[in-house]
Amino acid sequence: MNLEHLDLVTFHVTGSRPASGLDDVGKLTLKPALLAGYRDLTRLRYDYPLVLAAGETGEECLRSVSATIDDVLKQAAPGGLEGEALRKHTLRLEREIRSLVAQGAKATLRALWDRAAQDLASRTNEPVADNLSRARDALTVDGEVIDCDATAPAKLITHAWAADHRRKARAFLKDVNTLIVRLTDILRADYMKSSDARTADHLKASIGTSHADVFDFKALSRVLARTAVEGSLPETRRARINWALSVLKSQRFYPDPDCRPQGETRTEPLSFTFESGAAALAAFRERLPQMVELAKAISIAELEVENRYREAKHDPVFSHFDEGALGPKDLALFPSYLVCLRLRPGDGAQSASLVELLSTGLPVKVLVQIDDILEGATLAEGQFAFGVKSLRLATMAVGLNSVYVLQSSSSNLFQVRDRLIKGMAYPGPTLFSVYSGALLGAADTIPYLSAAAAMQSRAFPAFAYDPGAGPDWASRFAIDDNPQPDQDWPVQGFSYQDENRQRVAEDVAFTFVDFVACDGRHASHFARVPRARWNGAMIPVGEYLAHPPERVPERVPYLLMVDENDVLQRVIVDDRLILAARRCADMWHSLQELGGIHNSHARRLLEREKKRWDQEKERELAALRARPQPAPAARTPEAVPPAPAPAAEARAPEGAAPAPKPAAPAAAEAAEEKPSDDPYVETPRCTTCNECTQINPKMFAYNENKQAYIADPGAGTYRELVEAAESCQVSIIHPGKPRNQNEPGLEELIKRAEPFL
Amino acid sequence: MTIPATEWMSEIDDEPHLLEAYQGSLPRWCTGCGDNAILAAVQRLCRDEGLTPEKTVFVSGIGCSSRFPHYMRTYGFHGIHGRALPVAEGIKMARPDLHVFVNTGDGDCCSIGAAHWIHAIRYNMNMTVMLHDNHIYGLTKKQVSPTSPRGLRSNTTPRGAYLEPLNPLTVTLGVTNVSFVAQAVDWIPELLYDIISAAFHHKGLSFVRIIQRCPEYLPNLLDPWVQDPMRTLLLTHENGIQVSPGLAKVYKNQVRHDPSDLNKAREVASAEDPIPVGLLYWNPAVPCYDVIRQSPQLRTPDLIRAGLDSELDKFTIWPQDEPKRGQARPRARPS
Ligand SMILES: Cc1ncc(C[n+]2csc(CCOP(=O)(O)OP(=O)(O)O)c2C)c(N)n1
Ligand code: SF4
Ligand SMILES: [Mg+2]
Repeated sequence: MNLEHLDLVTFHVTGSRPASGLDDVGKLTLKPALLAGYRDLTRLRYDYPLVLAAGETGEECLRSVSATIDDVLKQAAPGGLEGEALRKHTLRLEREIRSLVAQGAKATLRALWDRAAQDLASRTNEPVADNLSRARDALTVDGEVIDCDATAPAKLITHAWAADHRRKARAFLKDVNTLIVRLTDILRADYMKSSDARTADHLKASIGTSHADVFDFKALSRVLARTAVEGSLPETRRARINWALSVLKSQRFYPDPDCRPQGETRTEPLSFTFESGAAALAAFRERLPQMVELAKAISIAELEVENRYREAKHDPVFSHFDEGALGPKDLALFPSYLVCLRLRPGDGAQSASLVELLSTGLPVKVLVQIDDILEGATLAEGQFAFGVKSLRLATMAVGLNSVYVLQSSSSNLFQVRDRLIKGMAYPGPTLFSVYSGALLGAADTIPYLSAAAAMQSRAFPAFAYDPGAGPDWASRFAIDDNPQPDQDWPVQGFSYQDENRQRVAEDVAFTFVDFVACDGRHASHFARVPRARWNGAMIPVGEYLAHPPERVPERVPYLLMVDENDVLQRVIVDDRLILAARRCADMWHSLQELGGIHNSHARRLLEREKKRWDQEKERELAALRARPQPAPAARTPEAVPPAPAPAAEARAPEGAAPAPKPAAPAAAEAAEEKPSDDPYVETPRCTTCNECTQINPKMFAYNENKQAYIADPGAGTYRELVEAAESCQVSIIHPGKPRNQNEPGLEELIKRAEPFL
Repeated sequence: MTIPATEWMSEIDDEPHLLEAYQGSLPRWCTGCGDNAILAAVQRLCRDEGLTPEKTVFVSGIGCSSRFPHYMRTYGFHGIHGRALPVAEGIKMARPDLHVFVNTGDGDCCSIGAAHWIHAIRYNMNMTVMLHDNHIYGLTKKQVSPTSPRGLRSNTTPRGAYLEPLNPLTVTLGVTNVSFVAQAVDWIPELLYDIISAAFHHKGLSFVRIIQRCPEYLPNLLDPWVQDPMRTLLLTHENGIQVSPGLAKVYKNQVRHDPSDLNKAREVASAEDPIPVGLLYWNPAVPCYDVIRQSPQLRTPDLIRAGLDSELDKFTIWPQDEPKRGQARPRARPS
């Protein structure tokens, strides 16, 4: 090893720099080469800024500005050349909006649009105003526009929660309002039957003024009194309905129903957003009695409007109705509780109480925002505690089994909006673990890039655990939102010009080391190597990580970075950071296994089965080889015993048709039924015409389907049987033989009965 | 307990009903009238489906057959002649949660109510329509109906009916949006039940023509068919009606008919002897007007009153328009 290289190795192993030659990257402004293209985000059309679309529910409540502009163009711009100017101007406007937002503008999309349109118009001679106002007419969404900054996760989650809350409120109020109307109907119908409702005065009041003189209400009242319908509502039922009505009308979980009578005071609905888990839990507990009461009122109302309330059955249940009676379906009616938190470094107590909150199974929606994955405090101890705490919280929540968990960088939140919406609608607790990328106090970082890099580098992998999706991990757990989830590190094509101005393309892995390299706090782990000292023992980090650690290092891992002028640099990395990268990969592997990728159990099983299969084949082959060969020259080939068929072939394939049996002799036609001596009716063919039952209702009766049968053959005469047979239009009555041989006129009756025997 | 109380409670009340629970007042139909068989089949259906009486409504027009709602212990609307269908449509629109049945006669449906019939088929609202076709006006004591056979002497055609009868099946099968057409005869109760049951389960307007005997005024008209099973052609199909082995012994004349084939259905419908019995046409995909036009607005008493007022106002004769003595009364003012 030459001395020059020894310097590099020394840095790698010890992290200490020689007096000269290896630059401290903290003094240079380098960034990972793979991020070279992302200097000015306002020139890119990506997910951010986002529109928090007002009034929308479901996935539609989140829109990207670029997709919104695309929709506008699809609507407003004619195809081909004709629409070219409009398209150009609108896209320029989009860029203008992006830079306004990047400069910190906070406004709704329409407001930003108008500002941007003005700015554009003032800066150019082109007639943009007309085109832009035409495009604006096609704009169907509006709402606050947010950029990917420190406030984005909370704003976005709160917005999605509010959308879900609105959806729930709509469904709840639809049901409850219907119940209120129908319960009121029952009371009103009962009142209309009462004598009060039949008084002349009431009748007069219900006609209105214009024709009141035309009627004689007293006479009307007298007539109505005579036709009074009997039976009014039992007092207990009326009380029950009144109670349910008052509870339904005074609920405060959602805004007031519209059908509340005017003049009744309106109450403020309860709030469901909280600063801490403890506050949410306390509120939930405090409101529990109201929830129980409301759920009970809804159940009673549902039974009452269907007239299915049976006091003997239902009273005992409702008198013991408490929180234990609330099922998931009842809980799902109520709003969920939103808690938005930012995880501060070293805040262990907070996570413990969070886990406790999530384990209650209550419908809380918790956002845990993480702003720093590479926590400074632990670095001094020689350990990168990258993301460990945040990851631990999310995986712990997964371990609770009934918590919906979604982990994502804020850069990726728009992409996983379907999971986000699902998490909101999930009836139990949900944890959103989000890395904001907005490092506190670090002004020069671009949160979007930082967040995206965290996800790319597996430092903050995305995953989702949906307990409602099925019974097993395969249906519940997903890591497919990550880039190239089956790889250790995502690999990207990268091309540059070498010193001879030749284009060079290579595949570069984006690793944990790249992510750390973006963070100036950790510059001490990197050293730039001057081009003159580059050598073949320098290995790209991705490749270096793919192999087990070396006992006596000779090779040194390096990272490709670029400076401000986009000149490519090699930066070597110390072993501590490599160690951290290996631990990061290790955690990623665990997630992969849970997500069904390179699962070790499955692999072992596969190996075992393959081995067994190989051995079996081997044995079969050996057995074949060991068998004596048939005599070489048999003269009578017919005499050669057929080779025994392999076992598999000897068995008939499953489901094969059985060998044909000799045809069964044609089944003899069923013998003609012998006429019965007892009378009978072919009951299923009876048309309920009442003929026979009118002849003798004791002899003929209807069964539970209202079809006739002979209930008592002794209950009448043979004559009646014969007459019934004759009058039956479908001829299904068979009189049989007479029982009483002394019945008068028997001879003639027997003749008449003949066609019906 | 793994079922939450609120869910369990809504189930514990489902006690089975008996057929008697659906019997209203005592039928006043003639002995031997085919309407009795239809009533028995419908009551059986209500029992077997466990329909709650207060969630079920029978709507009719005028005629012997239209007395049907009186004999059901459910809600009923004995309407005006020919207008059973529009009344039923209104009910379905206002109360989509109700099971709506319509009982109408050949006079009620095919003569005075013919216009409503055509449009009801096209609206395809979810209800079960039974046409009690006895080929005569029974209630008005033997007057010719559109389905009476040519040559029938009746009180209105003493020299015999002049025209060939109208075929309700081919008419129905010719209307846009038709979705369910079947034919039954009152004297094969097993199939009558199966067909009405299939009609009940269809989502849309199911039209069942039931050939019905009127022993009072047409005592022998259908005898040849009643007495000779070969003159009934059973239409069987796995998507239609299946015949039990017992019945198949009696009714041997059967043919496989695919109810999704509209042209074939029209062909089968126009053959009248033997009488085809079974499901002629079925298309569950036809949209229902009651679903298309369902309003999300809650029907509060105020809303209903406002709607009624605005409709009635169109026709109100205001007192200030009261005529002076000797003047003609003003006519209703359409808006
Ligand atoms: C507007 C009006 N016109 C005429 C009548 C007289 N009317 C009563 S029932 C009926 C015919 C009923 O025949 P159908 O519908 O076949 O019933 P069925 O009695 O045969 O069951 C007629 C014309 C009436 N009630 N109202
Ligand atoms: S007149 Fe005819 S249709 Fe009417 S009840 Fe009598 S038999 Fe039935
Ligand atoms: Mg009739």
